[in-house]
Amino acid sequence: MMKKWLSGVTAVVMTSVLLAGCGGAGNTSDNETAGDTGGSAAAPTKLVVSTWGFSEDFFNEEVFGPFEKEHNVDIVVEVGNNAERLNKVRQGTSEVDVIYLSDYYAQQAIDEGLFEFIDRANIPNVNDIYEIAQAPLGENYGPAYTVGQLGIAYNPNLVSIEVSSWSDLWDPAFANNLTMPNITATAGPMVVDAASYAAGKDSFDEEAAFAKLQELSGNIVKFYSQTSEFVNMFAQEEIAGGPIMEMYFKDLQVAVPDAKFVTPSEGGYAVMNTINVVKGTKNKELAEKFINWQLSQEVQTASAKAKVDSPVNTKVELTAEEAEGITYGAELVESLNKLDMEFVNRKAKEWTDRWNREIAR
Amino acid sequence: MKKSAVYWLLLPGFVFLAAFMVIPIVLTIGSTFVQENAFTLDGYLHFFKDPYFLKILLTTLQVSVVTTLVCVVLGFPTAYYISRKAPRRKGILLALAIFPLLTSPVVRSFSWMIILGRKGLINNALVGLGLIDQPLDILYTPAAMMIGLTHLFLPLMIISLVGVLENIDQDLLKAAQSLGASRFTAFRRVVFPLAVPGLVIGAVLVFVGSLTAYTTPALLGGKQRVIATFLYQNAMTLNDWYLASVIAAIMIAITFIVVGVMNRMAKTLNPKG
Repeated sequence: MMKKWLSGVTAVVMTSVLLAGCGGAGNTSDNETAGDTGGSAAAPTKLVVSTWGFSEDFFNEEVFGPFEKEHNVDIVVEVGNNAERLNKVRQGTSEVDVIYLSDYYAQQAIDEGLFEFIDRANIPNVNDIYEIAQAPLGENYGPAYTVGQLGIAYNPNLVSIEVSSWSDLWDPAFANNLTMPNITATAGPMVVDAASYAAGKDSFDEEAAFAKLQELSGNIVKFYSQTSEFVNMFAQEEIAGGPIMEMYFKDLQVAVPDAKFVTPSEGGYAVMNTINVVKGTKNKELAEKFINWQLSQEVQTASAKAKVDSPVNTKVELTAEEAEGITYGAELVESLNKLDMEFVNRKAKEWTDRWNREIAR
Repeated sequence: MKKSAVYWLLLPGFVFLAAFMVIPIVLTIGSTFVQENAFTLDGYLHFFKDPYFLKILLTTLQVSVVTTLVCVVLGFPTAYYISRKAPRRKGILLALAIFPLLTSPVVRSFSWMIILGRKGLINNALVGLGLIDQPLDILYTPAAMMIGLTHLFLPLMIISLVGVLENIDQDLLKAAQSLGASRFTAFRRVVFPLAVPGLVIGAVLVFVGSLTAYTTPALLGGKQRVIATFLYQNAMTLNDWYLASVIAAIMIAITFIVVGVMNRMAKTLNPKG
């Protein structure tokens, strides 16, 4: 009797160990809706959209839903972080038509020939968006549908100085309470660039940047790969601040109402999320129409008001209150520093290695 | 049924394991010896010559060994206590002991963040009692990883030990004591040797689990990497599948070595087991 019980317990344990092992990676899910719609209408075309999965309700209601109705399309969503989704496309194991990626990862896909050339004639709304967003990775590839900024957020209760520049991160006020994005995160290379400024260089100097970053090594509590990690550490007061995208500042404010976000005097960095058509799609034109829809005044206004994404469409008009916490306004957007993603990608491997050895110790 | 026919029943399991485990592992390890269509050991030479890689390996081994030892020290008395109880009680106690395994590693790690953090339970208590001025840095250090992994894997140790301890005949202890052994000597010379097989199984499970754990070190560890998070970075964000395969092969090799060494130790400690 006892034996049976024990083996039952052991089986449960073994299963949960297996499940625990999968816990880290098992966050991919499909939103596939039933294909059988019935009625006399032609069967809807299937469009596979690969995206991060944040604000899922918003995208389903305001972006995917209306497009499905208008074009008789059945949108299937694949979610995951940039790296995971790009790897899926690389391995050709999924049938993604349209993919949302940050510019850093989109450039990798371009270098490997994974994207179709887009036909801008099918995307007229591209003419209504900020110039910086129109063709961030070249005329042949997709536009940025949102431009956010990377700046510095900090907790004034823990930091004795008024932060105004990237070099303030080197101030003793941030001793042992700083976080930095990991080099493999989209914001990682931006921090390398900012360190070059902090080292007093006018043009990018790799050696100076890494030497400068190494000075910070002891002050960094942990590197973050996901913004949620920043938010948690900030809320628990494990850190007093660090570089973060403005879009996530509202989450910091929930935890620390006094929190401040600043655009450093040397300029914030443009974090551009692009939308592209994957090579080998059977629905290229439809995919381009989808991109056009994502850039439309309608979607852009809705996503700005819901504080889901900062708008790039110049026709979007927001009150001061609506613009709070998002990156808004031609003057600000055009002032942001933009990295040369081709250069960054050529350096990615070398920088990651240097970063691991010299800074993340 | 003919005797030979029985073997056909093994076929589905065999095919499944071959297709989804043996072949992928052989391919993964095999690929590490081939570069540009020629046999090479460069991947391994490169790894073992690089102080940075070795440091990651060393940190991982350190964390795994300490976790295993702590699990033995905490698990043995607990398992001994549980094994002495009446079946009903034993069931309840065992269920409580395995409870940590039934919660998600993410949830478990977040609880530890709250306990170990600068504003956490432990630091607040220590500062409040005036024992320290500045909060201790526990979270985001190897110590935090060890605590999290011990919490996760202690149940495996307890279950393995309860399995052998409850089968030790009480009469053996009585016999030892009637022949003049003290309770401690009886435990040391009778119970412990008989428990060695369970100890070895438990230690292997805990060690291998700690060696390959990803979520707990990723959440509780700080800047220092362990081998599993390093593997993930190479495979998922750098797309360097070659180095990732070399790391995977090294992890598999370490597992086999550890199992071999443990078995040998078991033979010395308990020659008849």
